[in-house]
Amino acid sequence: MRPKADLLQGSLDLLVLKTLALEPLHGWGISKRIQLLSKGVLEVNQGSLYPALYRLRDRGMIESEQGVSTEGRPVKVYRLTKTGRAALEAEREGWRLFADAVEAILATG
Amino acid sequence: MGWWRWARRRLQVLSDKDSVEAELDDEIRFHLEMEIRQQIEAGVDAAEARRRALVAFGGVERFKEEVRDVRGARILDDFVLDSRVALRSLPKQPAFLMAVLLTLGIGIGGNVAMFGVLERSLFRALPYPDSEELLLGRVTWEGEVGFTVSGPDFFDYRDETASLENLAALTPFPVAATVTGRGEPERVSAPLASAGFFETFGVSPAVGRYFLPEEGRVGGAAVAVLSHGYWQRRYASDPGIVGRAISVEGLPTTVVGVAPAGFRFLMDADMWRSIQRDAGWASARQFHNFVLVGRLADGTSVEAAQAEIDAISTRLEDVYPDTNRDKGLNVTPLRQALAEQYGPTLNILSVAVALLLLIACANVSGLLLARGGARRSEMAVRSVMGGGRGRLARQLLTENVYLALGAGVVGTVLAVWIQRGILTFMPMEMLGRIEPGISGKTLAFALSMSALTVVLFGVIPSLSMARADPAGDLRAGAGRGGDRRSRFRSGLVVAQVAMTAVLLAVSGLLFRSFQELTRVESGFDTEQLVTAEVSIPRGKYGDAEAGVRFFEQLSEQVRSIPGVSSVAVTTHLPIQDPGGNIRVSRPEEFGADGVFGTLAYRRSVMPGYFGALAIPLVGGRDVRPTDDAGAPEAVILSVALAERLFGDEDPMGRTVAVDQGGSEPGIREVIGVVGDVVSGSLSEGLDLTMYYPYAQSPSRRMRLAVRARGDLGGVVTGVREALRALDPDVPLSDVTTMDEAISQSVSDERTVAVVLVLFASVALLLAGVGLYGTLAYQVSRQLHEIGVRIALGASGSSVTRGIVGDGLRLVGFGLVLGIPGAYAAGRLVQGMLFGVEPADPLTLFAVAGFLSVVAVTACLLPARRAARVDPVEAFRSE
Repeated sequence: MRPKADLLQGSLDLLVLKTLALEPLHGWGISKRIQLLSKGVLEVNQGSLYPALYRLRDRGMIESEQGVSTEGRPVKVYRLTKTGRAALEAEREGWRLFADAVEAILATG
Repeated sequence: MGWWRWARRRLQVLSDKDSVEAELDDEIRFHLEMEIRQQIEAGVDAAEARRRALVAFGGVERFKEEVRDVRGARILDDFVLDSRVALRSLPKQPAFLMAVLLTLGIGIGGNVAMFGVLERSLFRALPYPDSEELLLGRVTWEGEVGFTVSGPDFFDYRDETASLENLAALTPFPVAATVTGRGEPERVSAPLASAGFFETFGVSPAVGRYFLPEEGRVGGAAVAVLSHGYWQRRYASDPGIVGRAISVEGLPTTVVGVAPAGFRFLMDADMWRSIQRDAGWASARQFHNFVLVGRLADGTSVEAAQAEIDAISTRLEDVYPDTNRDKGLNVTPLRQALAEQYGPTLNILSVAVALLLLIACANVSGLLLARGGARRSEMAVRSVMGGGRGRLARQLLTENVYLALGAGVVGTVLAVWIQRGILTFMPMEMLGRIEPGISGKTLAFALSMSALTVVLFGVIPSLSMARADPAGDLRAGAGRGGDRRSRFRSGLVVAQVAMTAVLLAVSGLLFRSFQELTRVESGFDTEQLVTAEVSIPRGKYGDAEAGVRFFEQLSEQVRSIPGVSSVAVTTHLPIQDPGGNIRVSRPEEFGADGVFGTLAYRRSVMPGYFGALAIPLVGGRDVRPTDDAGAPEAVILSVALAERLFGDEDPMGRTVAVDQGGSEPGIREVIGVVGDVVSGSLSEGLDLTMYYPYAQSPSRRMRLAVRARGDLGGVVTGVREALRALDPDVPLSDVTTMDEAISQSVSDERTVAVVLVLFASVALLLAGVGLYGTLAYQVSRQLHEIGVRIALGASGSSVTRGIVGDGLRLVGFGLVLGIPGAYAAGRLVQGMLFGVEPADPLTLFAVAGFLSVVAVTACLLPARRAARVDPVEAFRSE
């Protein structure tokens, strides 16, 4: 079960970074935003978002602060750091190459 | 930075684990609340909304657990994961695994073995109580440290020193003696020791007592202390032996005690006999027969003791100018003094094994880089999949840690064998018996060696591979790029070649030096010579005439044994048993200006000695039976000694003055001159030697050299039978052949040469493999280019030349660095060289030649593969 998560880890991290690049959000908000932006194609367990958030925070790519939800409930809000922004650029480039490569392979069939 | 943050987080997790848990709980609760509310707003009833929210989340506990993993145990987790990957993937490449384990194993094994030897010899305390207080006293001449001290000088130092609590003397060689009276006569090792000898070491007797001071004085009683081993073996541990007299050299000698089990100093002794001041060993200031052992008095330093000893030496010089000019005594901590003996050899071997390890590490580093080339696609994919660079490097490093640990185990196993080998060749008897073995300290050393090798061989390849540029690598497949890496690999090969050149040169020099030593012209015919010692007991042959008659008869009997062509009988045989030297001069020059002539070896020979050893008689005549006690005292000089004393003048009929320890010299008439021989050691060449007629200077201990025509074994049996027929109480001991004895005399030199040549061969092999690997890798990466060149019409042989040229260029660089290194290393071992210069051109050429031959061989295989490249295949494989 871990290896499977590992396999998705890279892409999920990328999506989280991309989402937070637009504005700071709490966990539930990030999950909804990804669902919305991918037009429901990327159907991942919402729970798997949290290990990814803590991992990215450990690596210094995002940081958290105490915020307030639209209903006025105190809640933890994540925002992208400088490191995170740089990583997003790098990972995006890497991902594109990977996707192109896969695409190229599929196209040769 | 990353580590610091990780550590801070880690601490946070540990310190406020609960608050972090609460934070996570709250976050998830909020998430579920929002999800449920959204469902309800979409028109689902509360229970169903809750169910759907939980399903969408996918298991609250599971993800909480995962978050904990991410935060807390991440590093440990990674390590376990990496370990699993490493342990699963490494055995899938058995050739690679074997190569690494063996290469590093040999490197680590050599070092662990050496460390074990050093630990056991140099660093271990000597087996005596408070051994660091023990000092060794050796004579100095003009400030140069020699070895043996004279008896009278010893007594003066002992009586006058205050800084030494105890000072005792011992003959540093096993003065062999015959014990008779209990069945078969037996030759034993029975050195002479002064009173206070055992007390200095601080060991108590197992039975009885040690020597009393009066037993060492003029006219003291003949007493002995048995060794524990001899007491067990010969007297079945009977305590009743104490107080009884045994017959040693036919002299009734009272056993006063038994030394404790395991007590040993310098050599294995069966018993220690008390010095008697009036006996020859300790009778004169110019007879240097003893080493001294002292114990530092409380609160005194070695320097202070030395200063006090120097003052005594100066006084002795004033009182005895004839014998003590420029003579002194050096005191050095015992361990240090004994270890000096082995220092140079151990140093060379240590440096050699260290070089070997460096070469092994460079080699494995190259192997890893080559394998890295094959794994770059894997690394690139992993990197895209979210493996950070540090993470990948850690994964690779984990693999290397396992490799190093495995190599450490292999090395430790090999070390046991290597150590046994070293100790067999180099027993280091001076320091006591050294058993091979792996101590806890040695194991710790092996472990740290493994850790060191990880740093040396693993870190750079790991970082270099993790640095892999995923975009470039994926785009280009496993093709080109990574110039920096191939430069690094080339650097590794150059370093290996350079270090191998140094090792080869040093081993070559020592080997040549050993060869030179065995080529030394001994001055006599060493082949087909059986040698043995015969010692007749004093009790039965107290009368000198009886001894002379005995050896004349023995000589006669042995000569008539079938297969024997001639027999030499003498007190000392060349090389085997140098004996002492003594001063000799022209009588009119004796004692002039305090000089007593030149030092020459002295031996007594029976008629026929020179003929049997094939030493040419240059002038005059051989010893005759008529040169007996009643005839004028005669002497035969070696050519060089005759020239030294008489120059161009004819020495025949002249007289010489021999220093006999008193004020009056012995005057002898020169009756003959014979060819020079090596009387002492091969490394010192031909010696000044003089020969007395046996009957005029008889000894009860003689050596035979029997020239055999055929089978040596039959001759030995014949000699034994002849001796038994003559007197069954006289043992034949120390039976060997002259060639064997000569080979034994250079065994130390041979050991160092053989061990080093062995190390150097391994290094050469590794360097060859390293070069091969680098070139093979290069060829596999340049297939495309080579294909193009061949397609454009390049011939196979020009491609081969190109690759071989690449290889030779690396070797050339290595030699440019290695040859000066070899010269420097040669200078370091200069003291151990005999007949060879550190810059010996033959050795240096041979090193260059050897390396080049190995290099060409290593290049040829990849070069031929390159020449056979099929352009079509090469393009397709891109």
